[in-house]
Amino acid sequence: MYSLLLPGINLGIKMFTSLQLHLAKVFLKIFLRDRQSILFSLFFPLVFIGAFLFSGGESDPINLGLVNNSTNSVSKNFSELVTGDPLFNVTEGEESYLKEQLILGDQTAIIVIPENFDYLEKTGELRLLLDASQVRQLGAIKEALNTSLLSIERELRNVEPMFRLKIEDVKARPQRYIDFLLPGLLAFMLMNLSLAGSGFNIVEYRRRGILKRLFVTPIQPKDFIVSIVLARMAIVLVQISVVLGLAITLLDIRIVGSFYSLYGMVILGTVIFLCLGFCLGSIAKTQEAIRPMVSAFIFPQLILSGVFFPISSMPELMQPFAHALPLSVIATGLRDIANDGTSLLILNTTTLGIGIWIILSFIIVTKFFVWKEVAN
Amino acid sequence: MNIIEVRNLYKSYPQPGNKKESFNAVDGITFNIEVGEVYGILGPNGAGKTTTLEMLEGLNDIDSGSALIDGLDVSSNAFKVKEIIGVQLQANEYFDRLDLTELLILFGKLYSQEIDSEGLLKKVDLLDKSKAKPEELSGGQKQRFSIACALVNNPKILFLDEPTTGLDPQAKRNLWNLVKDLNAAGMTIVLTTHNMEEAEYLCNRIAIMDQGKLVAEDTPHDLIQKYASEPQQAALHGNIEDVFLALTGHKLRD
Repeated sequence: MYSLLLPGINLGIKMFTSLQLHLAKVFLKIFLRDRQSILFSLFFPLVFIGAFLFSGGESDPINLGLVNNSTNSVSKNFSELVTGDPLFNVTEGEESYLKEQLILGDQTAIIVIPENFDYLEKTGELRLLLDASQVRQLGAIKEALNTSLLSIERELRNVEPMFRLKIEDVKARPQRYIDFLLPGLLAFMLMNLSLAGSGFNIVEYRRRGILKRLFVTPIQPKDFIVSIVLARMAIVLVQISVVLGLAITLLDIRIVGSFYSLYGMVILGTVIFLCLGFCLGSIAKTQEAIRPMVSAFIFPQLILSGVFFPISSMPELMQPFAHALPLSVIATGLRDIANDGTSLLILNTTTLGIGIWIILSFIIVTKFFVWKEVAN
Repeated sequence: MNIIEVRNLYKSYPQPGNKKESFNAVDGITFNIEVGEVYGILGPNGAGKTTTLEMLEGLNDIDSGSALIDGLDVSSNAFKVKEIIGVQLQANEYFDRLDLTELLILFGKLYSQEIDSEGLLKKVDLLDKSKAKPEELSGGQKQRFSIACALVNNPKILFLDEPTTGLDPQAKRNLWNLVKDLNAAGMTIVLTTHNMEEAEYLCNRIAIMDQGKLVAEDTPHDLIQKYASEPQQAALHGNIEDVFLALTGHKLRD
């Protein structure tokens, strides 16, 4: 593969003039000497990966205290079933001791099995002691306890369950939250890096008169833009690879589709956000103006673009709008490739959306990025 | 032989505070600059000096009139003009985290030229600062560096916009010597300034601008003869500052 790749890279480099390559190298050098911004652009995704690494990607078991005042086989059976449930982390003990722990927050709930726990005489009654602040977990606790009780009852009465729910993933692969989250996170990362590289930099260079200084030399605006795009592309690709590499090795993320498609999508996404960043940078005249503008661009997308939770869980009225946002198009595109193994070359709504955004951002950038005005 | 020919140059901007009305920042000026001259444009703040220079440098569109630089029309040949001029702007900031040598090489690349950065730094007396960043330089050193940047393409004409504003007398003298040296080597130099002494010391000819118009143009000596031959104070004779004030009035401009 390597020998196939090298001539490709060579050909790619020949497409650019030596000025464009030199300028791109200069921009890279400037970025690499700015340790702080490198650190901070990696900070957010790495914290996420770290959090998932330590939690194992699963939610913690619920701490459950168990007071067994009964000695018969029914209570023993019940306590074994509850203890064996992975949803719970069971501690058996005295009621007074466990109550103290409940108040301290070390236990989420306590189940008390009464002395005469038996179903033969009358319905056996269990007491559940709770901390009201933990009520959001009540549903899960009740559900699991009821299931345990039901299975004990069936066993004792010797009846077979009428129904059994078997959960099967139609896509036949394990889908964890991190599998869903990572592509969105990558899309969010490349959006931030691109906007910082084009929008913020342009405004800063203009404010300090650097663009004006460049403009009195014979450099063409095209050369300037191409070199920023090249430099940013390199930065985005390296940073995405670092995060992706860590996610694959540490969190056992599997990329179902091809890496060519995945990186192709990253490149297209970066081009879109760089173009949009150039527009924001051209419209915003000052550093004070670019911040709220970029925030107004980023935050609705962060919330609406299905980076953290699926768009389908949003109010129906907002969904078409959410689906059309550039970040959601790219996040969905990356997710389709990473989770479902689709290809960038297959025409579907996502790749169509990418195409539309590329064309749109090119049109907007050529309309708004006027070198003379930007430089002055 | 004229290297710069400016005919009836106009530039208008919207009136500050009243966007509907416009005013002429440059109001129909005409002048020629000869090869090898040091030509000074003097004027109070807002006289139109910088706007005039920016039109010649291709930074600003020309509303009407024409400007020829070395026979090239600035409006239609902006990029060719940029190849043969060197420009020092009032703001002289550069990309962060690059040292002087790296910046000079970068500027050379913008003209598609390999440059001798050491030679350039030596010319402006900054060879010992080759690994320094621009923000670590003093005001005078910064100005000298920005002239070095303007020299990377070995220009025929060097434009200097208020090169000594804010410099102490030593740094100012040092810069004057640099300008004199460059001119002695054959470079045509166009500069704007508020500093009368500078204009008198450096310039072969001076144009005085006020409110967008060119109100006088001559050699320093002839201007003094014409407008300030009578000493205004106890001095033996008036100087070019007297000329300036006689022509533009004493009122503060900003």
